[in-house]
Amino acid sequence: MFKSLTARAIVPVAVAVTGFVIICCILLYSLMKSDIISDTVTYATGLADTVVKSTRYAMLNSDRETLKNIIDNVGEQKRLEHVRIFNKKGLIMFSSVHGEINRFVDKKAAGCVECHSGPVPKETLAAMQKARRFTNERGVEVLAITAPIYNEPECSAAPCHIHPAEQKVLGTLDIGLSLADLLQNLKVMRERMIVFSIMVLLLTVGGVAALLWRNVFLPLRLLIEYTERTAQGDLTAELPDCGPELSKLANNVRTLSEELKQAESSAPRGEGTE
Amino acid sequence: MRNGSSLQSEQKPPLQDFEGLRQESESRISRLHLKSGNGPLSLALFIALSILAQNDFAILPSLPDEVLALLGRPPSTNMISAALVLYSFSAIILILGRMMSGSERYGGVLHVGYLAAFYTFYHFAHALAENFWAVFAAGATVLILESYHLWTYCREEIRKERELLAQLERKEKSGFAP
Repeated sequence: MFKSLTARAIVPVAVAVTGFVIICCILLYSLMKSDIISDTVTYATGLADTVVKSTRYAMLNSDRETLKNIIDNVGEQKRLEHVRIFNKKGLIMFSSVHGEINRFVDKKAAGCVECHSGPVPKETLAAMQKARRFTNERGVEVLAITAPIYNEPECSAAPCHIHPAEQKVLGTLDIGLSLADLLQNLKVMRERMIVFSIMVLLLTVGGVAALLWRNVFLPLRLLIEYTERTAQGDLTAELPDCGPELSKLANNVRTLSEELKQAESSAPRGEGTE
Repeated sequence: MRNGSSLQSEQKPPLQDFEGLRQESESRISRLHLKSGNGPLSLALFIALSILAQNDFAILPSLPDEVLALLGRPPSTNMISAALVLYSFSAIILILGRMMSGSERYGGVLHVGYLAAFYTFYHFAHALAENFWAVFAAGATVLILESYHLWTYCREEIRKERELLAQLERKEKSGFAP
């Protein structure tokens, strides 16, 4: 199968084009996926900051009812899986999932361990370090952001409740966004890229194969048939139409064959045997 | 008659010349057979490496923190991916060029080294899981092309050597000099 001229001309081109298109598609998909996730993290960080800012006044006034309402209302938004605020000890104070209020979060779990891995917890994290991905108990893939709620002069000096001024972080807001839509979009994008790649491959490999067949292999087959008939002594065979180069070759074969035949017939009998 | 027979014995080639040429040709054929096996060998080596890489080199012990600190920050994933595209493109062009010129050169083992470097860079950049199949596709393409080139080259050379052997046999039988 691989010995024929057709295979030797088409197989390397097909392998090279197919391989390169696959490499580029995988890398492009990976690049687009990481860009989309990075954009989602930026969006979620902005959303977390918005929630922290909108709860600031209620926190300063120690208005727990308003705070609870804000968290409940934000938590009702589509795509939001959870919104919770927990204090420095890890006790959940407010949550859109009411069942988890007054429970402790695990400091060794993803999302907490980034700050609490050392003996002294970190106070700031880069945007991508604040993000974590996990599958929640409902089987939904979630992208969660933890945003620290920092102590401010207004907080430490407020008469209602006392936070010492040296305490940098008062608590943390944890917000989780469902990635179901994003993953669905990525799946559609992946399928479109596969279809596009197959079309490019079919056009390239098919195009090369068709052109080679029409311009090289078919004329070559006609030439082989013609030379075989000429070699058998049939000088009446018609010269095939196989392009300028191959026609010239066929003509040369015919001339050679005619001259040989003439030389053979004009030579006196028995000359070669002496 | 005596003169004629002495002339004939002078023209007749020594038998050891035929034997030497035949042995040389046969050794070339076995060398080519051996060489054509290098392609699948490199492919097998690459597949073994890929099996290790698929689990993010979990079997291998991780480097100590001091060594990691000494190595510094890994290049960004985008940079590694750009290098991978450039590498695949140039490797494919070089192999196709070698196919066109009928060159004997084979760089399969060298390519396994380059691909191992890509796996390592992605591993240290914590992006191997997402880019594993890209490196695998690059390796498979380059090594299949290399193997195909080597296989067709060796087969062609073996055919030429066999023709030479047949010609030698004919000459030996007819009493011509090699």
